[in-house]
Amino acid sequence: MNNSDKKKMQWGTRVGVILAVAGSAVGLGNFLRFPGQAAAHGGGAFMIPYIAALLLLALPIGWCEWAMARYGGEKGFHSGPAIMGVVGRGRVARYFGILAVLIPMVVYMYYVYIEAWCLRYAWEYLVGGVALTGSIDEQVKTAGTFFSQTTGTDTNGVLNMSTVFWLIVVVLNIVLVYRGLRGGIEKFCQFALPAMAVLAVIVLIRVLTLGTPNPAYPEQNVLNGLGYLWNPDFSKLTHFDTWLAAAGQVFFSLSVGFGVILNYASYLKKKDDIALSGFTASATNELFEVGFGGLITITAAFVFLGASGVGGGFGLGFQTLPVVFEQMGAIGRWIGFAWFFLLFLAAITSSISMLQPAKAFFEEALGISSGKAIAWVSAICGLGSLWVIWFSKNMVALDTMDFWVGTFCIFVLATVQIICFGWVWGVKNGAREIDQGALIRIPRVFLFIMKYVAPAYLLVVLAGFTYFDLRKKLGEMAGNPVALWTLIIIGAVVMLLLAMVAIGERRWRAAGMDLDGRRLLPGESK
Amino acid sequence: MNTGGWIFMLVSLALVWGTTIWAYIRLLSAPAERPDEPGKE
Repeated sequence: MNNSDKKKMQWGTRVGVILAVAGSAVGLGNFLRFPGQAAAHGGGAFMIPYIAALLLLALPIGWCEWAMARYGGEKGFHSGPAIMGVVGRGRVARYFGILAVLIPMVVYMYYVYIEAWCLRYAWEYLVGGVALTGSIDEQVKTAGTFFSQTTGTDTNGVLNMSTVFWLIVVVLNIVLVYRGLRGGIEKFCQFALPAMAVLAVIVLIRVLTLGTPNPAYPEQNVLNGLGYLWNPDFSKLTHFDTWLAAAGQVFFSLSVGFGVILNYASYLKKKDDIALSGFTASATNELFEVGFGGLITITAAFVFLGASGVGGGFGLGFQTLPVVFEQMGAIGRWIGFAWFFLLFLAAITSSISMLQPAKAFFEEALGISSGKAIAWVSAICGLGSLWVIWFSKNMVALDTMDFWVGTFCIFVLATVQIICFGWVWGVKNGAREIDQGALIRIPRVFLFIMKYVAPAYLLVVLAGFTYFDLRKKLGEMAGNPVALWTLIIIGAVVMLLLAMVAIGERRWRAAGMDLDGRRLLPGESK
Repeated sequence: MNTGGWIFMLVSLALVWGTTIWAYIRLLSAPAERPDEPGKE
């Protein structure tokens, strides 16, 4: 790495790195997935398992990642496999570490396409291209047709207008990552996060002041809309799937076990704080999720469409809400633009964080320049993304990648990480690392949680996930060639990454680097 | 919205707004970061 590359790969400010990590975590799930999950699993009562998962799972694992990453960075490593090799003290952890590159790369392949939908919707609202007319039922139908045309969910093999927006967001992602941490990712997140907050407040104010827009349906008002999401149903707390859903939501929302923090925090200096930084990044994510996501989408949909119009996920965001914006009159167009531009910013701050870990790994393993690394990563991810766009019917390729890599592999990586942290590297060494330069002292009970509670919790969640979801998914996949070929593509990327770890090992050993974490730092114990 | 709904919503909002504001105040009132020393990374 030359001096110019080194300078590019440093964080500029303390707040900058926090906004970059928070930007990575805040995504579409905060606004679309969280409210749907909460409404379906006990409303306000959902917050009990949600906060439990936050304190016992996501927050401690997040701190572990920050600590492992900075420790790896002190040893000169910035990629997931290399850092896992150091903390996990050897080859097995290093090879499992490819998940920290595989997950962001594969998730990027479909995420960037969803990002293109958001940009396209924002553009269409800006130029007045979304025209929904007729009765509510007709508008729902038109919105559904527009969604199918935008996303290509009704047929395979079509490169439609959204591909142009895909190309724009791909180029934007590449440019931002190529400009480095300080000049690209950090600078962009310093603009994007505050902009997202402003847009969210604008949409929120409009939604909370809707009152009772249709006198024919007095029960469809803002308070009942909020009640639909927040009224607690304690009976749901006795269901295992409520606890599983809460753990999954917190986990994916905070981007733990994703490979991003492992890379981002490796560029911190030895005396930089990680305890308060990790906490602040998580708090920022929760503000967007609970403070905005928990108030906007379901309330808006309920007020205009009633309980039957409320769902979760893409349907709510891309099909139901355009109908809601239409009911708002002239201002609806601008609220629609604000909403989809907010989703676009949430998506792009996440997608740039997905390219960066892979770029760092290519540089580190192959010893190539930053420019060549981003070119290779972009080419591989771009081809994968085109596969997703081409086989868009019923989103089979997208769903397959999302399930196996964007869900299952995240659980596996998080389990490997927490075991390496608590049982191989040791919580004592981990605590020493977290306390170094810390602006807050994390309560010591978290060390117990990191060693015993989080791994146990995670294993229960993984077992529940395997029992409930994995069997179902395997059944769905049987006989679906697109799903099977998508799995083969993921397998090919795995093989490539494994080969690169083998190449990297030779290079790192020849350079005299401590790739197995055998040389202890001052104050560290075996 | 019933009383339980109000309680859960207000407590949740107070929690997320409170912790976020506390965290940023703590962060911004911390001693300034030292610039890189010349010759060191």
